[in-house]
Amino acid sequence: MDITVNGQVYQVDSEPDRPLLWVLRDELALTGTKFGCGVGLCGSCEVHLDGNVARSCITMLSAVAGRAVRTIEGLADGTALHPVQQAFLDEQVPQCGWCMSGQMMRAAAFLEANPDPTEEEIASAMTSNLCRCGAYGRIRRAVAKAARSGDSGGGS
Amino acid sequence: MSEQSDVLQGGPPPEAQPRWTVSRRAFLIGMATTGAALALGIPLGLPVLRRAAAGLTEGEAGGFARGNLEPLLWFEVYPDERVRVFVPKAEMGQGIHTALAQIAAEELEVAWERLEVLHASTSQASGDLRGTSGSMSVSTLYNPLRQAAATLREMLRAEAARLLDRPSADLVAREGVFELRGDSNTRLTYGELVAGGVDWQVPEAEVALKPPEAYRFIGRSLPRVDLAGKIIGQATCAYDARADGMLYGAAAHPPTIGARLLAARPGGAEGMPGVVKVVIDDGFAGVVAETRLQAWAARDALDVEWSEEHPWQQEELEDLVTVGGRGGVSIQRAGNALSALRCSTPIRAEYRSGMGAHATLEPQAALADIGAEGGRVWTSTQFETSVRSGVARALGMKPEQIEVIPTYLGGGFGRKIELDLVPSVAVQAARLSRAAGSPVHVGWDRQEEMRNGFVRPLTHHRLAASLDGQGSIAAMLHEQASGDALFGGFPPVVGKVLGFDFGSTRGGQIPYAIEHREVTAWRIPMPIPTGSWRGLGLMANMFALESFFDEVAHVAGADPLQFRLDHMPDDALGRRMRTALEAAAARAGWGNGLPEGRARGVACGIDGGTVVVEVAEVSLDRDAGRIRVHRVVAAVDPGRVINPDGATAQIEGSIVMGTSATLLEEITVKDGRVEAGNFDRYPLLRMAQAPDVETILLEAPDGKPRGLGEPAIGPIAAAIGNAFSALTGVRLRRLPMTPERVKGALAA
Repeated sequence: MDITVNGQVYQVDSEPDRPLLWVLRDELALTGTKFGCGVGLCGSCEVHLDGNVARSCITMLSAVAGRAVRTIEGLADGTALHPVQQAFLDEQVPQCGWCMSGQMMRAAAFLEANPDPTEEEIASAMTSNLCRCGAYGRIRRAVAKAARSGDSGGGS
Repeated sequence: MSEQSDVLQGGPPPEAQPRWTVSRRAFLIGMATTGAALALGIPLGLPVLRRAAAGLTEGEAGGFARGNLEPLLWFEVYPDERVRVFVPKAEMGQGIHTALAQIAAEELEVAWERLEVLHASTSQASGDLRGTSGSMSVSTLYNPLRQAAATLREMLRAEAARLLDRPSADLVAREGVFELRGDSNTRLTYGELVAGGVDWQVPEAEVALKPPEAYRFIGRSLPRVDLAGKIIGQATCAYDARADGMLYGAAAHPPTIGARLLAARPGGAEGMPGVVKVVIDDGFAGVVAETRLQAWAARDALDVEWSEEHPWQQEELEDLVTVGGRGGVSIQRAGNALSALRCSTPIRAEYRSGMGAHATLEPQAALADIGAEGGRVWTSTQFETSVRSGVARALGMKPEQIEVIPTYLGGGFGRKIELDLVPSVAVQAARLSRAAGSPVHVGWDRQEEMRNGFVRPLTHHRLAASLDGQGSIAAMLHEQASGDALFGGFPPVVGKVLGFDFGSTRGGQIPYAIEHREVTAWRIPMPIPTGSWRGLGLMANMFALESFFDEVAHVAGADPLQFRLDHMPDDALGRRMRTALEAAAARAGWGNGLPEGRARGVACGIDGGTVVVEVAEVSLDRDAGRIRVHRVVAAVDPGRVINPDGATAQIEGSIVMGTSATLLEEITVKDGRVEAGNFDRYPLLRMAQAPDVETILLEAPDGKPRGLGEPAIGPIAAAIGNAFSALTGVRLRRLPMTPERVKGALAA
């Protein structure tokens, strides 16, 4: 079947019940999307499906047909970082970085839907994503900063 | 596989390896074999120094084997102005590559953006003193790295002086250029200097280092060197490593603690879709398949028979780890605490802490490409040389036949240290790769990660103290029992000789000026594999000691902060601790009122010379038994700070991880098996539960840098427990402080 990832169409020869995560990582070599738990508990694998955040470890390939997938590799516009990426860089958010693709994808989708969030709305939107290095304070700051930057980067 | 090297972190293609020769003062000078370049390295390992010294005194020109000429750390300067520094340290998010780059840049006077830090592979650098643990990377490399950088700069200066025909003292080094003082047109870049064929000489005398007042890189919050890749999803951890023709592997893991593989047959695995090979040999059963999910499915279909082991239960393990009996070793003694306590009615309390998992978000992973003559392994590891020896041993090869190429780590926290007690993902990948004749990637699933690692051990603490007539502590006793935190990785003889595990006792000594004080430790090897977890015994010991100190303050009718100040020794360390206590208290508003339902607690400690004070502010949902930590103020004095923002990030991270361990995390065992298999049964603290952390960095006047990756995890559990006690009058003496335990304590 054909799937569209970051605006590019790929032909994938894979079982329809295969999670999108492993298609992205192992078939398309897009390893920016990370495996953490495999059952939708940690958020490391988050991508956008038609602009909404989705956990790719529990999203079957068959559910992706005809929809636009966006991964961390497609979040920047060429070399111009997405405002969320810029804010995560400015605030020096990542430590090990393993959860960060998911954090940034969630933040980008969240700000698209809610461009002017309160502190509480940020915490409630982002609390579903685990960070073992404990960068939560910086994530909160970075998401608020990206919101303040006024342009959350357009849709996917 | 060399064409894949560019997508993998960890080192240049092997042909770029310099050929080293030894100079005076035991520096190694190398000319990279691809194009002109200058390399200067330092052998840090004692064995290397000894061999070098032996070679020199015997006057054998080039008289030692090639294998001995391996630096621990080295620089390479290229004609295109790039400078690479190869370090023996793993980047696991602690920012060590950035800190080491700052230290190097300080003396080398190189343009920051031209400096690249690489974690050397095992074939590039010496095995002596490698490894990334114990918050020791900066403190051990601070001087040698500056010395090597300064020496390299002076070698370049001498060559610049020769070419420009000017006195070297008239040349100023800045941003990778030597410029004649007062004449910016007379200049040579480092790249120009190394482009010519030069007979490089190491200066006779040791090069003087910059005074700290002149520092331009050290002490600044420079951006992390590893973040550009991490922001765009391009940083490579072991789970991300790829190679052409790569297959996926998985291995059978024991269902219960201690079980050994008795027999294995392919069972249902053979003939499953995508299965390329079933590998059964030497106590190992695994599969190789075309995709990861096929490999995992075939792993579960293997017909394996395991030895029946004792079905360990949680209560049995707790009974095992108990203070008392033979084998206690005194690790701190002043005066005579035992007899002083006998002559009084002491305050007594017992504390326990549970087992904890590292729960790195990147599970164990390795890519191996092994042929008949050896091969390469890419993995996320804190100790690449023990991966190499483990793989070589399993394959019946010599260590030199295996090159371990370290990647970035998706979290370490002590888990990515090889222990023979638990299965090695690198060995699994290597066995499967050799059998399949292709590169094989093995990545564990979350359940494998939760149930096949080693854990932070159980601890038990018995404390006693007595007060003198003035309300000061006259005597204090800390008796501590713990599973191994460090010795799991050591030969058994080490434990026998020492009698206690100095990792388990970390943070267990009494730092206060008390006339009679004693700490005794019992080492209790546990049937479940235990090992290093961020800070080793630090959090458990400081939880017991600093909670108990508050209990004693309460009996004495003293303010917990003032009681600590009153017991600080009048020495350099005590003065640093006093400064930190006062700074944290002032920022936290100690003594000021709080909204109804909130309270503060303080705890402090010293780890590796780093002083930490934490003040936690908590509230309680009584019905749910849930403690909420709103704010933590941390005052930390690690001596010289290399990168204040990086230091702050480590303190924030330690406090959030420690809060998670304090409130939520516990590994429990039932019927010989770790119960948790994923984050549903092993919850980690989430953003909505995380405290705001405010950090005050203090710098001891002696200018020495000390550790920062772990110390701040020490006092947090006690600070939270002390705040809870201030709020409720109830003392929590067990970690973690789960809702059930909180409700139980409130009801008691």
